[in-house]
This record gives sequence, structure tokens and C-alpha cells, in this order.
Amino acid sequence: MSKAKEGEGTRASLPLLLCSGKGEWKMRRRLREKGNAFVIPAIFWVLTFTIFPLVYSFRVSLSKVLYGKLVGFAGASNYLRMFGDYRFWGTLRFTLVLVLISVCATTAIGLGLAIVFNRKMKGLRAFRSILTMPLFTAPVALGYLGVMMFYEENGPINVLLKYLGMGKVPWLSHPLWATLAICLVDIWQWTPFAFIILLAGLQSISDEIYEAAVIDTSSGWAVFRYITLPLLSPVLGTVIMLRMVDAFKAFDIPFSLTSGGPGTATRTLTFYIYTQGLRNFDLGYASAMAYFLLAITMVIGLLFFRRYRELYE
Amino acid sequence: MRRRRKGSVVTEILTWVVVVIAVLWVLFPFYWTVITSFKKPADVFRLSSIPWLQFTPTLGNWQTEFTQRGPEILRGITNSIIIAVFASLLAVALGTLAGYGLARYRYVKWRNQSMAFWFLSQRFLPPAATVIPFFLLMKSLGLLDTRVALILVNTTFAMPFAVLIMKDMFRELPVELEEAALVDGCSRFEAFLRIALPLAAPALVATVIICFSFAWNEFLFALVLTYKHATPMTIIIAGTEHTQGVQFWYVSTRLLLAILPPTLLALTVQRYIVRGLTMGAVKG
Amino acid sequence: MEWRRLSVVLLSVVFVLGFVFGALAQEGASELEIQTANAAFEAADKGNPDPAWKGQKLTIAVYSAGPRGAISGPLYFWRPYFEKLTGATYDIVEIPFGELREKIFTDLMTGTGTYDIIVGPSWFYGDYIMNDWIVPAQEFFNDPRMPKWEPESIALPVRELYMWGDKLVGFNNDHDGQVIYYRRDILSDPKWQEEFKKEKGKDMPTPPWTWEEVYEICDFFNGKDWNGDGEPDYGISMHLKVGGQGFFHFMALSAPYVVSPAPGDDPAKVTRYHNVYWFDPETMEPLVNTPGFVEALNMLIKLSKTGPSAMFGWSLGEAWDAFLRGKAVMCWSWGDVGSLAQLPDRSVIQGKLGVAPIPGSDKYYDLETQQWVNKKNFVANTVGASWHGVISKYCKNKELAAYFLSWQATPQINHWNVVWGWTGVDPGTSYDFLQPSGKATIEEYVATGYDAEDARQFVTAYEEMWTKYPLRQTYLRIPGTPEMWEVYDIHLSEAVTGQVSPEEALNRIAEEWKAIVERYGKDTLKKIYQEAIGYKPE
Repeated sequence: MSKAKEGEGTRASLPLLLCSGKGEWKMRRRLREKGNAFVIPAIFWVLTFTIFPLVYSFRVSLSKVLYGKLVGFAGASNYLRMFGDYRFWGTLRFTLVLVLISVCATTAIGLGLAIVFNRKMKGLRAFRSILTMPLFTAPVALGYLGVMMFYEENGPINVLLKYLGMGKVPWLSHPLWATLAICLVDIWQWTPFAFIILLAGLQSISDEIYEAAVIDTSSGWAVFRYITLPLLSPVLGTVIMLRMVDAFKAFDIPFSLTSGGPGTATRTLTFYIYTQGLRNFDLGYASAMAYFLLAITMVIGLLFFRRYRELYE
Repeated sequence: MRRRRKGSVVTEILTWVVVVIAVLWVLFPFYWTVITSFKKPADVFRLSSIPWLQFTPTLGNWQTEFTQRGPEILRGITNSIIIAVFASLLAVALGTLAGYGLARYRYVKWRNQSMAFWFLSQRFLPPAATVIPFFLLMKSLGLLDTRVALILVNTTFAMPFAVLIMKDMFRELPVELEEAALVDGCSRFEAFLRIALPLAAPALVATVIICFSFAWNEFLFALVLTYKHATPMTIIIAGTEHTQGVQFWYVSTRLLLAILPPTLLALTVQRYIVRGLTMGAVKG
Repeated sequence: MEWRRLSVVLLSVVFVLGFVFGALAQEGASELEIQTANAAFEAADKGNPDPAWKGQKLTIAVYSAGPRGAISGPLYFWRPYFEKLTGATYDIVEIPFGELREKIFTDLMTGTGTYDIIVGPSWFYGDYIMNDWIVPAQEFFNDPRMPKWEPESIALPVRELYMWGDKLVGFNNDHDGQVIYYRRDILSDPKWQEEFKKEKGKDMPTPPWTWEEVYEICDFFNGKDWNGDGEPDYGISMHLKVGGQGFFHFMALSAPYVVSPAPGDDPAKVTRYHNVYWFDPETMEPLVNTPGFVEALNMLIKLSKTGPSAMFGWSLGEAWDAFLRGKAVMCWSWGDVGSLAQLPDRSVIQGKLGVAPIPGSDKYYDLETQQWVNKKNFVANTVGASWHGVISKYCKNKELAAYFLSWQATPQINHWNVVWGWTGVDPGTSYDFLQPSGKATIEEYVATGYDAEDARQFVTAYEEMWTKYPLRQTYLRIPGTPEMWEVYDIHLSEAVTGQVSPEEALNRIAEEWKAIVERYGKDTLKKIYQEAIGYKPE
């Protein structure tokens, strides 16, 4: 069951079995009226607080900056420097890896958990609250906690692995394992995000739909595939988008867990931008990289957005 | 709305297995934090997973934290609470309104999708590039080292979430209830308030929690825009790293203190929000 | 859900009670601390506080460590005394350590001027000087209102950090440098000495004087169970994590390979090729990829194999812990290890500590002749921060700030800070060194909790390094120093973890340093560099 595009009627993409009995589904169309009032406060806020920084940063990216003062016009030289900087490409590569792994894992696990928790079983409610706790853990503290837990000599994780018969994993001293460590911590923290939103989405799907479905087919998989997933897809898409956008800006966890090490193996692009811009005050270069990151995320986001909408609507 | 399956016992057991694994996975780091906060510094890196068996717990860390850093920590938590509460409420308020508008109305100049995407794009730019302009902005407004500055900043960054999530939620809701209300003579706003909002209550709660967590964990802007009076808990936690290395035992105590208020909030407030909103839904 | 409501109430109650309890039971200084502090206070020169200062307030920036933590602790401790002395007071603004530069520089760059006094590291001086951000201490030194303190009593290598040319810029406080710590009980154990002789064919050098000797000892002990806990233990312990101040290890290790004595009667004179470490003072070419450095890096890598591989991800806490807990037989680091070794909740090695000045090398590379010289070379280092106060140019009451900092710099107060280890202030003046060469007695250290022999080894090692070593390593104080060190840190980490070869890593560092120099302006940097290291063009 899909939602209507603006201004158009419904498009029945499900087997007739659903649409036949219930006339309600046709009603999910937009009120064809124009109305600005609701969005105005938000638009006003965004314009006030983000346009100035965006424009200013762009200007800075085109300048030579020393000690925070714009001391000259640099044209595109900051951007050119970026393309020749092997560290930039390294961090970009790592960021993409992190985004890919994190987004897929958190969404998949979050979805799975949301489905499981969507049952009317006793006691599930309490555990639901527990599952949201990772979200409130300050990422900086989480990184330090990770240092303790991934401690290679006697940390709990390696001790557990030892009991399971595996060797000592060099979690923080080896580039590849450090990458995995960061992904694990990131997944731990952000899965609840996907979980909460997807659960709310699942809960908004009314019971009647399912009852109707169960009459016609009792295959859980079919119900999931043809009813739940399409109904959930806008929310799912949103979750993936939001998670992806945030994953591109991952900073706190690499910062406190590995400081981008060993070497620069786990340095994300945002981390690099941060050290260049706010530690070394090389703001011109940092802003250039930031805009590049902005461009990439926009492009990826747009592509995903369009493709997703095509598939599901 | 929950699904009711003519359940097999197997499914129930599987469900509980998954739940238990998930809960363990989530709680283990917290368990670790709790025991670390009771460890002597020398024990932190030894094999010390089980208290009393592998190490002797001590109250020393907690004592030191409360006595030496107590007022500072209290201020950090108070600031965090104030900033996060106001920022999330504001963000959700603005965002829900905008989300409703995007879900229900058609705009002439831009497609709704593009507007949604434009809201989302506010989050694309890495903070490091916008921090200095924000600093200058707040400085010229005389808002440095105030909670107001952080509330403004956090609202700005949390709002896109609220917009997008609420938009999707509202689109899932059937329109006819609102149409019926309009026919009855309600204004659009009343229809929104009395009908759409209560129905979207679960989503609203989720959004508030998410926005709250973002504001609660925000570090970079807090660092740059505050000095002493408005420092939230994240800065206090970062203060555990100093020239002698990271003091993991204090990281643990502060982490626990920092996580307590939001957890309490999540446990209690959730139910009240939902109940409060759904009460209005009975009418109409 | 009644249990839920109950647990909420319970948690809230515990939470609130904690703070109430904390507020009421103020843990503070011990009796002895207050007693000795009062004595120091009486004895210290108080100058002549200006009555106009009554009621004024300063803002002091320091990194975040709390009221009983390193470097920030003394500020809290001495505040009541200061208030009594002058009628003025100060606010202490703590900044998370990792964010010092952002915060302080943003404040100075934008002219916000929130901080009157900055208790910061010596590596900011380049930026301070280039932008004229601080008021030098020299301006106030002869002011009759100021308490008198003695820059001459500070050991020469450290004293140079407080000066710029022949002008005083900072006020005496901390004195940083790295020495080597070892388990004197294990190294002097006849059983191990015999085994060492059997295995290596020579006597165990106790203490080790060169890095080659350090390597032999650590290689010998690594993997053996020398502490009797049934598990194999380690040789060396290092903190090599990126951002974990690991590059200071290399800085101290490489000094003797790189810093060469000048010909003539003053071997410590800074010439173009001698006693330089960072850049060629005429051309600003980085020296970091010259043969001396390559050899030193190879030694570092060799040495890192005599400890746990986890070291590559260790920052200070973990690395010191391995030594303090008796798992590693040696480590080289700052004075903190000496004082931490005395705390029962951090260490098990009190009374077993051996401390020696930083090892030298068997050979060094002469840049002028471009040849290796096979002579033993010993170079003192001042790696670290040597945290101390400077006066910001935006300070609204500079005299009051100078008064406070001068007072803290007086021998009595500063020495008090040194003997009480929790303050984080390390020994470095003749008032801290032991008699007869210095003025301190061992009893002063023992009274604050040091084991007598540990304290003697600890203080003497620093004294020897700073007063007896013929050469000293110059400290980099040019604009962009932190940025250069970050680059240094990252590529060193790449080299020790085997991601690139040592030569490649050092070349990368050199390349990036060249780019940074260009960005700041080569001529400006050259001038500041020459001033910083005391080089006079011939």
C-alpha cells in the first residue's frame, strides 16, 4: 500500500484483496489546498540561523586564513590542495566505509528489533525503555568506555573471546581492527535511533490492516513484504537518510576511542576538518573540505532520495 | 497498534531470546561503567569483571566526585537538562508544525519533497565549518556563555529531524478524520491540534526523545560557546582527560550521572505525553 | 508498573542525596598540608600589594583537572591565601585538555579577552609571540609591588622555556622533562643479573645509560615472568596512541642521535648545524628526515617490540598503569610517574622505583660533516608542557595578574607545590633538588608520602639531567607548533605500526612541515625560530 503523490489519487499497488473491502484507503490523498502557515515558523528559524553560517563558511573556503582572520583571496586553491592531499582521500575512504557499515547495520538491526518489540506481549514495554539508553550516552564518554572495554590485555571483550577460544584481538593497535571497533561502538549507540523511529512507525499502522491480511493469507513473510514494508517504507527511507547524513559527520567516537589512529587509519573526514579548522585554525582549508563533504552528502542523499521514492511510490 | 499473532510458543520463545540478547548487548557497557566507577585506578586495567571476586570495590571515586566536583557536576547536569528540554520542545514544536504542513498541503513554488530535502540539508554541513560563524553570531548578540545560545543552536540542529519524522507520521494518518472535523467547523489548526496530533502521539514521543538525546550529547558547540556558567555535562565529561591521561574511573562516574536524568525522563515522561495527548483524541 | 515508579523515586533520591552529602562533607586538605602551606606562606616574599586591588577579580584559564588535580589544583588551593593577601580574588575556568588550543586561541583571536591569565603549555609561545598576545613577565619583574622570585634557580634547560631571548616571558611554575624509570629491585636482583649475563654475555647495566642498553634489558625481560604472578610480563611500556602524547617519547629518544655538540669551547652553543633539532635555522628546512632521526626511529621501533603490541593504542593512563602495576620493567616519561608510584591505589611499586636521567646514544650524526660520529652523546630534554602562567594582553588588571603569578613563582610556594605530588608540579629548581647541590632535604619529600629512596632517585635523576648533561634539546616554539606536532604524532604512529617505512614516515613529516611553514610565512617563522632557540646568524 503506498501513499499518494501530492495532488494525485491513490495508486493501488497491492493485490486487490486489500483494496476491495475497505474504501478508506482511497482517502489518503492530500487536501488540495495551499497552506503556508504551518511551515513558516520553521522556515523562518532555518533562514535566520543557518544561512549566515553557510554563506560565511563558503566565503572562508575561498580565502586564505591565518589565526581566524581572512587575509586574502585564495580562489580555488584550498579546493585544489584538497584534491592533492592523500590524507583527505584516506579519511574520505574511511568515512565512506563507516557510513556504509553503520547505516546498513543500524537500520537492519533496528528494524528487526522494532518488529520483535511490536508485539503485544507483557513486559516488553519495560525493555523498550532500556533499549533507548545508548542514545543518551555522550559519545565522548562512550569512546573512553570503549577504550576500557576493548583493552587488549584484560578488557572484557578480549577475555570473552579468550574463553571462546579465539586469540587476543588487537582492537586499538591495528588499523583494521580499530576500524571494526569504531563501527561496533557506532552501531551500539545508533541502533536505538532506528529502533525507536521504526517502532513508532510500525505502531502507527492500524490493526485493521493486519486483520484483513490475516484473513487472506497467513504467511508472515507475505504480510511483512506486501503490507508492513510498503507502509513503513517512507519512515524507513527517512531513517536511512537521517542515519546516513549523521554518519557522514561521525566525529565523537573516532575522536575519543582511537583519536583517528593508529596513524590515520580511523580518522573520519569530519575529524580532519575539525583538527584543521579548530585546532590549527586553517579555516580556509577546513571550510573547503566541509563544503566538499556537503556536496558529497547532498549528491548521495539526492540520489538515494530519488531512487527510493521511485521504488516505493 | 500491535499485531496479534495466533502465537506459537516457538515464536514467543524466539522473541524473548532476541529481547534478552538485545538487552544484554545494551546493558553490558553500562554494567561495565558501574563497576568501573567502583574500582581503584590500579584495577581498571586488570582482569576485573566481577566485583568482590576479582577486585575489591571502593567508594573512593564517588566520594571524590561528589565532594570535589559536586557543585560543578550539579551545574553541568542542570544546564544540560535546561538546554535539552527547551531545545527539544522548541525543535519538536516547530518541526511538527512544519511536518504537518508538508504532509497535508501542497505548495505552489516548491514541491514538498524538495522542501523536505532542504530541511534535511541543514544537517549536511559538518559542524566544524559552522562553529566559528556561530561563535561570531552569538558574540555579537551578547549570548556567549549563556544557556540561551545553546538552546538556539540545538534547536537549529534538531529541527530537521522533527520535520522529517513528523511529516512521515502525519502522512500515514488517514485524512478523513480531519476532513470531518473541518466540515464540523474546526479551523485547520484546531483539526491539527485535536485530531492529528493525538493520533501521532507515539511518534511525537519518539521525536522528543531523539531531539532530547541530540541536545543532551552535543559537545562541539557547547565547547566553543560556553566558558563557565552554561557548560553542560558533556564538557564536564571531557574534562576527565588531562595531562596524566584519561581518568577512566571518573569517566564512569560522570557517564552514569549524565545518563541518569534522561533515563528518568524517558521512563516517566513517555507515558504522560501519550496519555495526555490521546485523551484529547476521544472527542472529535 | 509500580516497580518502575518506585525505581524512579529511588534513583532520584540517591542522586539528590549524593550531592547533598558532597556539599556537606567537603573533603579538603590534610592537616599536614595546611600546616606546611601556612609555613610556606609566611616565608614567601609577599611584595607590596597595592590597596587599589581590593575587590578586583581575575579570570584564570587552566586545563580541566578539578580542585585537587594536577596544575589546576594549586590554583584552588592557594586562592584563600591570595584573597587574604590582597583582598582580590579570581575565577578559575577549566578547559578540557584536548580543547585547550581551540578555546584559548578563539578567545585571543577574536579579541574576546575572557581570560586574564592563561596557565598554558610552552608550545603556545610561537603563536603568542607572533600575534603579540601576551605581556612578558620581564615588564613586572622589577616592580617593587611584586614578590621577588628567582629565575636563576630554575635549571637552565627549563629556564630557557620561560624566556624569550634574554627577556622573561613566563612565571615559574612547572618543570617538565622525561627521565627513565625502572624497577630497581628487579634490575639489582642477583638472580636476574646472572641470567642476563648468561644470555647477553655481559653485565646488566644498572641503570642503563644508552638506548642500546635499554633495548638489551627490555628485550631480556620481555616475555619472562619476572614479577611472579604466573604470567609473562613485559620489558618496556610506552604510550604510542595517536593523541596520547606518544611523540614526546620519540622526541626524548631521538635527541642524542640528532643533537650534536658544537666544536670549540662551548659545546652547547647553537650554531647552524649543532644543537639544532627541528629546522635548519638559515633555510627553515625540516631536519626530521636526516639520518640521525631515521636511526632513532629504527631504535624506537626495535624497542617497541620489547613490550606489548597493545602499546600502539595506549595513552598515558594505560602505559603508566602497566609500569605502576608491575607488569613492565621500564618506561620513560614525566615526573608524574614518580609521584604516582607513591599512591597505593595506583601503584604497587612504591619503594622499588629506580630513576635515571634520560639515556643517551652510542653515536650521533653530525650535520656539518654529514657523518656519523661514534661517541657517546647525552642530551637533556624538556619535552612536555612545563605548564605556567602568562598574562593575556587583554587582561584588565595586568599588575594584579603579575602579582599573583610572581607570588606563585616564589621559591617557597613553588617548592611546596613540588613536594606535594598531587599538584602536578614537578621538580626543576635548586630549591627542589637535594642538598648539598640544592636546598631541599629528603625529609620534606618523605613527609608528603614519598618513599625516601624513590624520592632521592627521582629528584636526583632530574637534577643530573638538567645540570650535568652537556647538551640540551631545543624546544619548538614557533607559530604552528601544535599543528606540526600533530603531524609528527600521526606519522610516527604509522611507522611504529608498520603502515609505512620509517624513512617514508619521516619524509611525510618533512613534507607537511614545509607546507605549514609556507602557510605561516617562511620569513616570519624563521625569525621567530631563531629567537626561540637562541641562534645568532653569523
